[in-house]
Amino acid sequence: MSRPKGSQLWGALCALGTCTVILATLAACGTSGGSTTSSGPIKIGFTVSLTGDFSDDGKAVEQGYQLWADTINAHGGLLGRQVSLDILDDASNPDQVTTDYQKLITVDKVDLLFGPFSTLLTKPASVVAHRYGYALPEGSGGGPSVFTAGLNNVFDVSLPVASNLVSFAQYILALPAAQRPQTAAYATEDDPFTQPQVDLAKQMLEQGGVKTAYYNVYPAETTDFAPIAQAVIHSGAQVTIFGTLLPDITAFIQAFKQQHYNPQGLIATAGPDQGTQFLNNIGGAQSAEGIFVPNGWYAELNAPGNADMVAAYVAKYGGTPDDISSDVAEAYSVGQVVQQAVTQNKSLDNAKLIQTLHSGTFTSVQGDVKFDSTGQNTAATAYLFQWQSGKLIPVFPASAATAQPEYPKPNWP
Amino acid sequence: MDLILQAAIIGILTGGVYALMASGLTLTFGVMEIINIGQGALVILGAYLIYVLEQKLHLDLFVGLLITMPLMFGFGLLIEWAFVRPLKRDRIMLSILVTFGVALVIEGLLGLIFTTDLVRLQAWYTTASFQVAGFYLSYIYVFGFLLSVVLLAALYFLIYRTKFGASLRALMENRTAAQLIGIPVERVSAITFGIGVALTAAGGMAFGATNSFNPGSSYDLISRLLVIIVLGGMGSLGGALIASVLMLVIEDVTAVIWSPIWSTTVFFIVLVIVLLVRPQGLFGQVAGRKQ
Amino acid sequence: MKSKPIWLLALLAAAVALPLVFPNPTITTIAVLTVIFAAAATAWNIFAGYTGYIALGHAAFFGTGAYSLAIICQHWHVPADFTPFALLPLCGVIAAVVSLPLGLVALRTRGHTFIVITIAMFFVAQLLAYDLRGVTHGSAGLSLPIPLWSGDFYNMPFYYAGLLILLLALAVSWWIRNSKYGLGLLAIRDDEDRALGLGVKTGPSKLLAFVISAFFVGMLGALWAYYIESIFPPFAFDALFDVAIALMTFMGGIGTLVGPILGALLLEPAQQLFAVYFGQSGWYLVLYGALLLVVILLLPEGIVPTIRKRWAQWTAARARSSPNSPAPAPPLPPSPTSQHPAIAARGEGGER
Repeated sequence: MSRPKGSQLWGALCALGTCTVILATLAACGTSGGSTTSSGPIKIGFTVSLTGDFSDDGKAVEQGYQLWADTINAHGGLLGRQVSLDILDDASNPDQVTTDYQKLITVDKVDLLFGPFSTLLTKPASVVAHRYGYALPEGSGGGPSVFTAGLNNVFDVSLPVASNLVSFAQYILALPAAQRPQTAAYATEDDPFTQPQVDLAKQMLEQGGVKTAYYNVYPAETTDFAPIAQAVIHSGAQVTIFGTLLPDITAFIQAFKQQHYNPQGLIATAGPDQGTQFLNNIGGAQSAEGIFVPNGWYAELNAPGNADMVAAYVAKYGGTPDDISSDVAEAYSVGQVVQQAVTQNKSLDNAKLIQTLHSGTFTSVQGDVKFDSTGQNTAATAYLFQWQSGKLIPVFPASAATAQPEYPKPNWP
Repeated sequence: MDLILQAAIIGILTGGVYALMASGLTLTFGVMEIINIGQGALVILGAYLIYVLEQKLHLDLFVGLLITMPLMFGFGLLIEWAFVRPLKRDRIMLSILVTFGVALVIEGLLGLIFTTDLVRLQAWYTTASFQVAGFYLSYIYVFGFLLSVVLLAALYFLIYRTKFGASLRALMENRTAAQLIGIPVERVSAITFGIGVALTAAGGMAFGATNSFNPGSSYDLISRLLVIIVLGGMGSLGGALIASVLMLVIEDVTAVIWSPIWSTTVFFIVLVIVLLVRPQGLFGQVAGRKQ
Repeated sequence: MKSKPIWLLALLAAAVALPLVFPNPTITTIAVLTVIFAAAATAWNIFAGYTGYIALGHAAFFGTGAYSLAIICQHWHVPADFTPFALLPLCGVIAAVVSLPLGLVALRTRGHTFIVITIAMFFVAQLLAYDLRGVTHGSAGLSLPIPLWSGDFYNMPFYYAGLLILLLALAVSWWIRNSKYGLGLLAIRDDEDRALGLGVKTGPSKLLAFVISAFFVGMLGALWAYYIESIFPPFAFDALFDVAIALMTFMGGIGTLVGPILGALLLEPAQQLFAVYFGQSGWYLVLYGALLLVVILLLPEGIVPTIRKRWAQWTAARARSSPNSPAPAPPLPPSPTSQHPAIAARGEGGER
């Protein structure tokens, strides 16, 4: 008879015990957290995905924020105070993002917030930030769904996602009729970042008279790309447009090389912009020759602070300017824009910051920044890049181009 | 039509590689009645070991296997001794939990060592290709498939033609009876687990040569491997091979004739239908009332 | 015998008072997520723990609930206030209705085949969320109405709603455990064919438990969706959700009443806090994995059964050492307790 009673009793005791221990820990952490003061360093909090699905981009985002903080600290700080970064791991998970931003705001009491990586994580983070009246400037959460929630505190300093491939479509349609391709193949990951870009490009090219030979969307979890590559090859399209991230575009390039299929033009939404990592994954610079990628930034771009950032990157992390992922520039731009707005306000007040961000015009390493009412950057330019002789070079629009585009693309090595 | 044939050929060849990864899983289930959820993480670990050898010592990928397979065998013995052997009851359920923990630790450590940058194994045969059936086929697919055939044949020989294999099969039939007639159950179990992990290393090499990977890449793998061994019949090596090939062919053909979005759905529907007709899987033995 | 309700009341009081004692929103955020997982594990245990069928597809019902609320809110223009809370039971019912045919098909199989069929059903559900763009907007996801509550207050309604669902699930679990219906489920876990022979209507019994657990998990999915404010297919239908609730239940003690709650109380805060405090250094996964390994190896039967056994041994030893004590409790036969929980359950039931 005593056993069941004991079990219940112990169950309850144990639950209470666990509760107490956890809460004690938390409370301890809670009280030891800092508070907003007007002296000492300015605290800026954000999360990056150091584990889980988005972990391949997490490091670059962190580097970008860090470089900006280093730069501004070396130049006397923000409003005369040093900047310190408060970085948490969001494990690529929305629950963790919610907890993390709560902690940044209420326990660490940061002065300002920056955004996490990816559309999927930016949305939950923006809701938490909104609840406390914080602005959430970010550089890599540009999916359209971030801006449809009716929040006034999200600001994406980068090029709006859907417009990314517009420059490529314009370039193709501007080709002389003899050179202009007749058919195009489209394959995109089912992802809020990639698909809108591909769909817009498809619409533009179809209106311009380029027939669609193949269009397909594939699940984000796909691990075998060979059959999709096979179908693209089979369509015999003259240009191929991919909505990909790094792992899938390398798989497609590998398959095309093996199949000796060489489209006249090949563009991917992301992946070829990842510098050395991209080259290592596809087997060297020769394989990259002629591949296009759209971007809002490049190492030689003549934009405020860009040369400094590139120099700082190379000094701190080594490598060459071409190794720098555009994630770094996107994060760095966030810091720059906030810096200008805060300096203009002469205050760290977030309500003022939101107001200023909505009304002002700013500059960044990615070029001009002006936000519309939903927080998208209307002043950004989409540049078209191409790998030429082992370097990623802007080739379109002509005003920014440092070399003529190679078209058609040379054959695989 | 060409396209379907090509997709089918690719499906068969990649299916062979999946069979290699799944064989370890089905073998340990058959002999030890445990499910190793850490299999996906072990595949990635195997790929990273090869990557290190290739980068530091410039070893050929296949030669590297001569080092990594014994290494992973030893690692398998260690995991079995430390985490699986202590489980005395509810082995299936607890083994899932324990190996999940092992997988998290492996992913965490790989992240600390290699960071989360994506990498890919490179060799001349990962890009070179030859013409067959109207299209080009990469050597790596063929080599990977041949590797699977050789290793699975060796495994088959080990199980059906050696004394150790006899003990192993006795364990598969009836663990308690095997113990009674004096078979060293714990030793056979440990070696089986080690073999399973070593095979995984080989599968990891083939995976890493056809896909870019980072420490988090294991999540997409483990669910597919589980599904394969259940479709084939848990504990059946031949079943794992046929189920892998079947799965990849169905997916790849659906991807080209319909849409990649639906390829996985079609496969899962096939799976559910097969299991409703044959709950023990294609080649599994009926487990009687024990379930 | 009297002490039991006191302890349960104390526990309840502690849970109710928690956000008042520790109003910091970071703590209450973790608390909201923890009660959601505790309730989900409790609901899962009603099916998996009592029947012995390990289902790894309940994330399908979690996602169904989440999407139901999002779609209802969009179509009916539900205001961003307390109204969505009133819609939670409806979302639970939708999940339960969806679970009916799925359970009917899946429960034709047993053992690991059942496990894999549930996994397959989960994947099909997730794929549908991606593919049925007309209603789900595919990978672009859906937004829910965003309440304009202050940061300090915001977590409270979600915490208490979650706690209420947890208590309901616990009450149902307790009732089943002590009913004739529950005895039938436990008989199925021990030996389904014999249970059938003894006259237990195994088919409908299993299905009912499956649907009940889906109902609660669906409500929790809807609550979670309103809390996070935006849903995407990979997060609403998350394979790790299945692993998490199974882990919590096993760790606390599968088939026990409070085990799943204990597991959730331990694992969810641990995971969140480890990510917060060790994530930056990269040690988060290593530590979290190591914690799992240590707990499983030290307490392979789960926390509740192990403690129950220790307690029994301790009282027995004390009874032996004090000659005055009347009729010492017989020492427990260690292994049958966990292998034949029906016996244990009957003992517990008999006591009431």
